[in-house]
Amino acid sequence: MAQPILEIDDLVTGYGRTQVLWGVTLALNEGERIGLFGPNGHGKSTLLKTVSGLLKPWRGAIRLNGESIGGVQPRAVVDRGLIHVPQGNVLFPQLTVVENLRLGAYARRARAEREPNLARVFELFPRLAERRRQLSRTLSGGERQMLAIGVGLMGAPKLLMLDEPTLGLAPKLKDELLDAIGKISRVGVPLVLVEQDVEFLVALTDRLYMINHGAVALDIASTDRLDHGEIMQMYFGKG
Amino acid sequence: MATAQSVFLSGIVLGSLYAMMATGLSLVWTTLGIFNFAHGIFMAVGALVAWQVGTDLGWGLGPAAGLAIGVAVLVGIGFLSELVVVRPFLARRDVVLIAVITTLSASIFFENGTLLIWGARYKQLEPLIPGKVDLLSTAISAHEVLIIVIAPLTLVLLWLFLKFTRIGSAIRAVSQNRESALLMGMNVSLLYSSAFALSAGLAGLSGILLGSVRFITPSLGAEPLVKALIVAIFGGLGSLGGTIGAAYVIGLLEAISVYFIGLYWTPALLFGVMILVLLVRPTGLFGRKG
Ligand SMILES: Nc1ncnc2c1ncn2[C@@H]1O[C@H](COP(=O)(O)OP(=O)(O)OP(=O)(O)O)[C@@H](O)[C@H]1O
Ligand SMILES: [Mg+2]
Repeated sequence: MAQPILEIDDLVTGYGRTQVLWGVTLALNEGERIGLFGPNGHGKSTLLKTVSGLLKPWRGAIRLNGESIGGVQPRAVVDRGLIHVPQGNVLFPQLTVVENLRLGAYARRARAEREPNLARVFELFPRLAERRRQLSRTLSGGERQMLAIGVGLMGAPKLLMLDEPTLGLAPKLKDELLDAIGKISRVGVPLVLVEQDVEFLVALTDRLYMINHGAVALDIASTDRLDHGEIMQMYFGKG
Repeated sequence: MATAQSVFLSGIVLGSLYAMMATGLSLVWTTLGIFNFAHGIFMAVGALVAWQVGTDLGWGLGPAAGLAIGVAVLVGIGFLSELVVVRPFLARRDVVLIAVITTLSASIFFENGTLLIWGARYKQLEPLIPGKVDLLSTAISAHEVLIIVIAPLTLVLLWLFLKFTRIGSAIRAVSQNRESALLMGMNVSLLYSSAFALSAGLAGLSGILLGSVRFITPSLGAEPLVKALIVAIFGGLGSLGGTIGAAYVIGLLEAISVYFIGLYWTPALLFGVMILVLLVRPTGLFGRKG
């Protein structure tokens, strides 16, 4: 079997003395899109932060294409093409939309493709093109999510991690983002997607992991028929 | 009304100096979130290096070389100071307080260092341009005209740098959201030391310009630093345009007050005005809301 793109092995970490992850093990294979879901506060965002280098692992391994990236600087992770779009990202509020996007291509490997990628982002999110000179703090919640994803794309990702890109958005906007993320993953960018909405995840990913109490509680293929009852059961346990 | 014009001109000269100093302070404040209390001694060090390099009592390479090398040395000192005095404490929650102590310590270190190297004798730089010029039918030294011209020029260059270069926009960005900056692959530590170095360079430049108007002592920058602090707060911390505007307002106010009320009560008046402004507009004269 081919080597996984991203491999997380018994990862343990936390904040200060508070442990949050209690041994997460998961893998993302070539051309695959995985979804993470689970109750609030059980460590999904913490997991992504550790992968992107914002947080140091206490124990365990993170490998990107077989190379260990656990505990390296975020810069080194970005340089390898792993881009993390964090939850509720406010980006740079006093900079304009286009300034934010251009900074998304700050890393050397993304710089050469900056202007073509900018055109691609504007094609994907025409609203951002209309608001290119607007300060990003004046954007609506939905536009801000688009900008956050756009900034991620400007980094020319070889692997994209999106943390709750539709948090707090109305259904119509959610559909719009679902379309956009679908387009991104269809050009072959492997995806790690965190979402509360399991239906949204099923539509976009090949495999789901449920994170519960800082560990993987379930590993299921999205193609499996999931009905609402089963999902509720996953969240709240049996009986 | 020759006096009105000369009061106006001396206000503009003061404003120009304050603008450069306060911009340096505010650059560090917005980027690193700390106040650098060594900014004043950085001015004195800049002037002393320029004196050593430029004047005939030193190496005699001329005022222009003194200026260039003085600023360059200060950029280097700024870079290293950030490494030693700020970097180790940046991750701490109480970094604002710690930085007060460490930058004050650095200031004392440099103060004694300059005394050790250059002694306590008062020194003065030759003016960069000798002679007098007639401006607004007032005779004013050419050096002061140079100050009036250099300050806005420097600040426009700084603005262009921050607005249009890769590093410049990254410096602005990192001050707004450190985590996002990290996730975009920015070298945040390097950006911090660059901002600190730039600020020290500005301090050096202001010190060198001031060094031929006043005597160079270790406390050359102390009194202007207090004014620059007033300016930075008055202008709304962190807004570059506001800081520069406030610098000229304070400079003019000081010149008028010195003329009518005298040197002695002027600082009290400036503090009074600052407190009044902050009571009415807590974000400063030109500061943004929240
Ligand atoms: N910076 C921090 N400092 C201390 N504790 C934190 C920090 N960030 C998160 N935590 C704690 O870590 C735990 C896991 O948080 P995390 O953000 O990873 O959860 P999550 O699964 O992403 O939740 P959500 O679905 O609400 O986004 C929570 O108990 C949270 O309070
Ligand atoms: Mg989260």
